[in-house]
Amino acid sequence: MNLRDITAAELTAQVTNDSGLLKPVSESLYDLHEKGRDLNVFISFDKQHLEQETAALAARLARGERPSLAGIPAVLADNICTVFYPTTCASKMLAEYRPPFSARLVESLQQKGALITGKTNMEEFGLGCSGNSSHYGVAKNPWEAERTAGSGAAAAVSTSSALLAFATDTVGELRQSASFCGVLAIRPSYGRISRSGVIDYASSMEQVGVAARTTTDLALALEAAAGPDPRDPTSLKAEAPPYASLLESGEGKLKAAVPESWDRTSGLEDGVKDCFQSELEQIKAMGIEVDFVELKHFREAPLAAAVISAVEAFSNLANMDGVRFGCRGSAASLQEMYTVSRSEAFSSKLKKFIGFGALVSSEKYYRKHFLKSQRMRTRIKDELAACLEEYDLLLTPTTPFAAPLAGGSLDAFHLLDPANFYTAAPALAGLPALTFPVYTDDGLPAGLQLIGETGDETALLRASLRLEKGRSPLKFPEPGSM
Amino acid sequence: MQNMETVVGLEVHVELFTTTKLFCGCSTAFGAEPNSQVCPTCLGLPGGTLPRLNQRAVEYTIEAALALNCRIAEKITFDRKNYFYADLPKGYQISQFFSPMGTGGYVEINLDGKIKKIGIHQIHLEEDTGKLFHAGDDILTSAYSRVDFNRAGVPLIEIVTEPDIRSAEEARLFLQRLRSILRYIDISDCKMEEGSMRCDANVSIRAAEGSALGDKTELKNMNSFRSVYKGIEYEVERQSGVLKEGGKVIPETRHWDESKGITTAMRSKFVSADYRCFPDPNLPPLETPAEWVEKIKEKIPELPSSRSRRFIDDYGLPPYDAEVLTVSRGLADYYESVLRYHRDPKAASNWIMSELLRLLNAAGLEVDECKIQPEALGKLLKMIGDEVISGKIAKTVLEEMFASGEDPEAIVERKGLVQISDESALEEIISRVLENNPKSVEDYNQGKKKAMGFLVGQVMKETGGKANPQKVNELLKEKLDG
Repeated sequence: MNLRDITAAELTAQVTNDSGLLKPVSESLYDLHEKGRDLNVFISFDKQHLEQETAALAARLARGERPSLAGIPAVLADNICTVFYPTTCASKMLAEYRPPFSARLVESLQQKGALITGKTNMEEFGLGCSGNSSHYGVAKNPWEAERTAGSGAAAAVSTSSALLAFATDTVGELRQSASFCGVLAIRPSYGRISRSGVIDYASSMEQVGVAARTTTDLALALEAAAGPDPRDPTSLKAEAPPYASLLESGEGKLKAAVPESWDRTSGLEDGVKDCFQSELEQIKAMGIEVDFVELKHFREAPLAAAVISAVEAFSNLANMDGVRFGCRGSAASLQEMYTVSRSEAFSSKLKKFIGFGALVSSEKYYRKHFLKSQRMRTRIKDELAACLEEYDLLLTPTTPFAAPLAGGSLDAFHLLDPANFYTAAPALAGLPALTFPVYTDDGLPAGLQLIGETGDETALLRASLRLEKGRSPLKFPEPGSM
Repeated sequence: MQNMETVVGLEVHVELFTTTKLFCGCSTAFGAEPNSQVCPTCLGLPGGTLPRLNQRAVEYTIEAALALNCRIAEKITFDRKNYFYADLPKGYQISQFFSPMGTGGYVEINLDGKIKKIGIHQIHLEEDTGKLFHAGDDILTSAYSRVDFNRAGVPLIEIVTEPDIRSAEEARLFLQRLRSILRYIDISDCKMEEGSMRCDANVSIRAAEGSALGDKTELKNMNSFRSVYKGIEYEVERQSGVLKEGGKVIPETRHWDESKGITTAMRSKFVSADYRCFPDPNLPPLETPAEWVEKIKEKIPELPSSRSRRFIDDYGLPPYDAEVLTVSRGLADYYESVLRYHRDPKAASNWIMSELLRLLNAAGLEVDECKIQPEALGKLLKMIGDEVISGKIAKTVLEEMFASGEDPEAIVERKGLVQISDESALEEIISRVLENNPKSVEDYNQGKKKAMGFLVGQVMKETGGKANPQKVNELLKEKLDG
């Protein structure tokens, strides 16, 4: 079974029609996993588990059930809890952690017949995208193995190891890695997908998103995952729209805004700059109006996001103390046990980051840094809301650069990481944002980011479909070609 | 140094009567097998920490705040207090730091008939910690410690007074009144012995009224009203001693040692002084619309202060009686029910305060567990009032009622205890007694009025206590003087 040229909807239709196809599907997934081992995409992948899942699905199909994601291979970032796989957050701290429950998202996906094939590599607990904090090593980019994928989730979709990948996006991790790997991804409005069973990192920004290869697949996946959940107090109360059935490209009038300051980041690569400019021309040629607008605070977003996420992570990760689960260092006293356990099990990058969080939430700096960042967040939110009242979309590159070399020297503190230049603002404001794959002249993937009004993922999906329509299908690297 | 004034502020923690914990569905029942009432949320397991706020606990806290005359916050928000300790599963406690549920209230205490208001600085809702059991004396010297998380996450309210308390006695009166109020509104059983009510005291002394506050110490480990009283008294003496000798009070936490009757400086826990409080990003603010607060207010019954005033005004009771009878809602209700059957407020008060409470205390029962129904006590009082039985007989009848729950009329009839008020019957007995006691008659005639008492006693003896003592007195006097 060739999973490279099939959409999720097609696969479900085929499998539902003939459950005998589940066997070749599962064999292909296993082959792809074996071929891609060097890429370090997976943290957990178990053939036996996959066979159990396909057998269980075959039985359901035989009973006449018609689940909407039947047979679709999906992967989860390893901070989404599963009873059937360890959930490590790519940290040594949780290398042995097996949650006694599955995330609400996992329950929904299983109920809808998706095959959860494995758990993917990520930055430790969700710490950015620069590729040096995972206990399991860097997830390599399927396009060029010496570059980082940013996340195993996006890489899995890029190599067809999965048609759908679910991963968290705090400041932009999922969108950035999708951009690095040349796939689509959407981070829905904050609260759209339940965080129940997702390991808390930076609660007020973190949102589960999904990566896929087509807009239709993205819509299907989002529809399956979204919706209110009483177990998550930050979950949106409103029912999620039926994205898949609302999807149509339309030819209607669209007004898009581009922040005037879009090219004012030191990290902007020429390739990405040229690519974005030519994309804008194409978009205009499609009849979409594009204006440059002044967004005074847009550039302040990365720092505010770093401060807020550091404080939240510092607190959220305080349960990793070696008392009830996780790594426990050998020590003579309780205090020493905390120090040893956390020193040994956290990466140096994470330690610096949560140390920074502890610093900016201390009585001395609370007002000066944390409160100031929260105020900035409000300004950014207001500014974007005002802009989106006038415009249907906001357009930016997704990242200022194509996938960086693995083990590169990105800001160790993660504070002024230029990777977050475009993705931080919608994350702070809780807005939905979608990244659409484009290519630089060097043939490397980059991303076009579409930011929409809160609650209106549909508009983004429709715009994405419209972009998709006029183009040749997405390119993907050959597995095992590097 | 002569007019030194004691200044005390109390911090009282009270466990609420909810059946489930503050942020999860685990039971709050006291005394269960260790770690049998726990779940991923109250254990702080990664992926399980999302809190689901217990609405009932919020309503109880608002009710308590209203009963303590506090202003209610317009928005309920929760904050995290971050510190590491083995009994704190998440590494932070969810509490209300920036905006407590209630502020600016007061409690009235009765100081020798004078009403004094003790200010309530704030009342807020928070979660309890687990409980540590050390193999040795404390965490530092023990080979190991064990922890029970059954209590972790149990809803607690913390009530912080203004430094308005001026003596150990005022502290005791305040706590009694506070307990009384919280029991009236039925949100906690407030048992200090079981830990459902805990009290820390901030104690300082200053040169004179109105002068600057002295350095304070915080007293912990006081497990009864009596130990609060004794602890404060000891601490005031100790501080005065230090100051008189020209020393300085060291601001510190001190441990009340009940067996030795002293306070000792406590070794500090591994608790950072800087709790890095910040708003909990997982708990969105909850509005408290006026209609909601109003609805909760309607549930509050007449509270001890006003009920006591009403007892004085309506029933003409002395303040002391009113105070005693309104200590608990059950007792006050009982009293008023008795009045419905026999409206003699002072007699009812006397009988309840002296006889009934004595029997209840001896049996260790609460008034609502009493077998004597208010109607039965009313009947008994009526029989006394109508001189059907004497007070002395009534006491034995009451004891029997208390033991069996039998109707007083039935007991009196069955045992033939009806009082003899019939003059001719009494005259006959009196004549016989006078004949048999010529010595006493002579004594009386010679002015020894004491002899009268002896003769009354003899008449009572003859009648088995059933003679109407007043009548006996009158008739005897008539005979002797006439």
